[in-house]
Amino acid sequence: MVGTRFFLSKEEKKVIRKQIKASHTLLKHEGISTTPHPTESVVVANGGLGNGVSREELLSVLTEAEEVESLFMPPHKPYAFVTYRSVESARRALTQLNGQKLQSEENSITLYLSYVNSVTFEEEKSVPLPEGLVLVEEFVSPDEEAVLLAAIDWLSSNEDVTAQKSLKHRRVKHYGFEFRYDNNNVDKDKPLRAGLPDECLPVLERCVKSGLISIMPDQLTVNQYESGQGIPPHVDTHSAFEETIISLSLGAKTVMEFRHPDGRLVPVVLPGRSLLVMRGESRYLWTHGITPRKFDMVPACSPHSPASDLGTNRNLTLSKRGTRTSFTFRKIRHEPCCCAFPSTCDSQGAASAFSPSPSSPPSLPCCHADATRLEEEYVHRVYNAIASHFSSTRHSPWPSVCHFLSLLPAGSVLADVGCGNGKYLGVNPELITVGCDRSNALVQICVERGFQAFVSDALSVPLRTASCDACISIAVIHHFSTPERRLAAVRELTRILRPKGQALIYVWAFEQEYNKQRSKYLKEQIKDMQHISKGTNSKLSVHTNRTAFNTQDLLVPWHLKEGKKQGEEDSGENTKKDKKTSGNSLPVFHRYYHVFQQGELEQLCGQVAGVRVCRSYHDQGNWCVILEKD
Amino acid sequence: MKLLTHNMLTSHVKGVTKGYPLLIKATEVKVNEVEFNPQFVSRMIPKLEWSALVQAAEELGHRQDLPGELVADYETNEEFLKKVHRILLEVEVLEGCLQCPESGREFPISRGIPNMLLNEDEA
Repeated sequence: MVGTRFFLSKEEKKVIRKQIKASHTLLKHEGISTTPHPTESVVVANGGLGNGVSREELLSVLTEAEEVESLFMPPHKPYAFVTYRSVESARRALTQLNGQKLQSEENSITLYLSYVNSVTFEEEKSVPLPEGLVLVEEFVSPDEEAVLLAAIDWLSSNEDVTAQKSLKHRRVKHYGFEFRYDNNNVDKDKPLRAGLPDECLPVLERCVKSGLISIMPDQLTVNQYESGQGIPPHVDTHSAFEETIISLSLGAKTVMEFRHPDGRLVPVVLPGRSLLVMRGESRYLWTHGITPRKFDMVPACSPHSPASDLGTNRNLTLSKRGTRTSFTFRKIRHEPCCCAFPSTCDSQGAASAFSPSPSSPPSLPCCHADATRLEEEYVHRVYNAIASHFSSTRHSPWPSVCHFLSLLPAGSVLADVGCGNGKYLGVNPELITVGCDRSNALVQICVERGFQAFVSDALSVPLRTASCDACISIAVIHHFSTPERRLAAVRELTRILRPKGQALIYVWAFEQEYNKQRSKYLKEQIKDMQHISKGTNSKLSVHTNRTAFNTQDLLVPWHLKEGKKQGEEDSGENTKKDKKTSGNSLPVFHRYYHVFQQGELEQLCGQVAGVRVCRSYHDQGNWCVILEKD
Repeated sequence: MKLLTHNMLTSHVKGVTKGYPLLIKATEVKVNEVEFNPQFVSRMIPKLEWSALVQAAEELGHRQDLPGELVADYETNEEFLKKVHRILLEVEVLEGCLQCPESGREFPISRGIPNMLLNEDEA
């Protein structure tokens, strides 16, 4: 391999050492076994989509050595698999390329190659587009694109013609009518002086001619996204606009993500100069958004119908985002919406997930039906909408819970009722663990992490009576809005326990300061006045995050952040900045909580026959009990 | 959904008394490779409802030579433990549904996740 020398140079030894180290890392973290015996297949450590290397960049390096038969770059992974025509070819490639440097963007990457015994592709099925969604490529020519982009004068100070606001994350301009971000609706009585720019007419006429729209739009919103900017997932307000919404992508391509309430996610590549038409489900039911990113994963070669090709893993590469300008044309709706999707329709009673405060605030329920509706609106829909952001802020398991789990004998059956993102499902690998949660989106995250979980309600858990050695329910029961439902939840936990089995329950405490210690939830400077106020009416008030509670039943805001952030972990909520200065475009969700007073949880558990409280304590702003079944 | 999980699940439709085990109608099944830990498998066995496991394996066409009854001294029978390991932890139902044996109610399984939510009138 190194000619006639018997000894390796220092440099060669270093490369071999690093190659071995890379092999070990691949085995340890990715389960990939390399072999010292030459084969036709090679793994290239550090040459992956996951560490910023595009297909084109890697191919250009690889083909400097030997001809490549196939190249597979698994999405999000820091390695790639290369197959050569023969073992000899692979040997030559490895000799030449091992330790080779690759210049990618601003980084210099060193590639380490090792033989592998086999390469398995995970062929995923192509994902269909959401119902009602149509993508028309090359809808405008490059010249037309230039004319349209030039028609927008971002620097104009003519405030009454257009409404130009510089939102925190992207530039926006409205024509025809102004779209308001505080209530996500349009001021229908105050049209803007100038209508849509003349330059748009040919495009709109083309849309009518092609049968894509039947009525001329009278509202235009122009959004400009720099690389790294996006827009959070949302449904365009039903009552503001008629059904069909068309959006022209100019300047650069991007990836728009559509999300169904049941958790399905469909990424759609929007090439530059393409027109997106949203009707039916894609307009009324699925949310759409653009994750703030600098690079998207897109198909490597532009095939003939690319829109759904993100569903297959075969040929992916990284595409750096350019500045994209979207022209979204809509027709103002003057009568209430009567679509077939009432769950997301503000004309038909749904509080839009985006409106910061619904027109009539909810009251404390007095019956199961009201309670179910309240929890559906202010717990379940919210968790499904915020699942991935929520999950990114719930990464550190609490020590006391871990301690409880570590004491359970190996082989114990554990149920995590209200498991959320599965934070506790893997803490003790000696246990037989199953999680369940009401949120499909959160359960999906558990399954993605390799845990077993199913969707169910905590009031009716589909596990057999006395089938569990232990169960935990962390930060769950405080979401039930009547004492009867909270009691029913505790009863279910005890039902599934076997005799002498134990349950650990955590609920948010009214008293955030205990034994002179303030919980992490409270912000340092704020002086709290702690008293319980039973409201004069039964309307639920909205709590100010990071302050002491002054009522037991309340709505707690969640500010959805764009993209994932490793937020700080605390007993309750996220957000360092609760005073949103310009976050008008970012949605706020309200979650219902009943925070427990000292002794209340014990008293609740005391009402359940066949079980006793063996431990009760306060932990970081939570009241906790350990129950044991007789 | 692995068969270990299926072994624990039951139908909780109101009024149903014989809701276990749920019948499996699978349209997509996957077999993964999971690290074999004989002690872990050995500890799982007493927690299982053996006949339900055999029935489930049969329904999936993955029963192979799994015995209808538990063998004696299974703790030291590595070959047997491997069979149990495979059927409990490696076979996974990705798409299909679970059916209540008494009421016929079907609970969908999608992307490996069973959705056991009941409607208002079933709870």
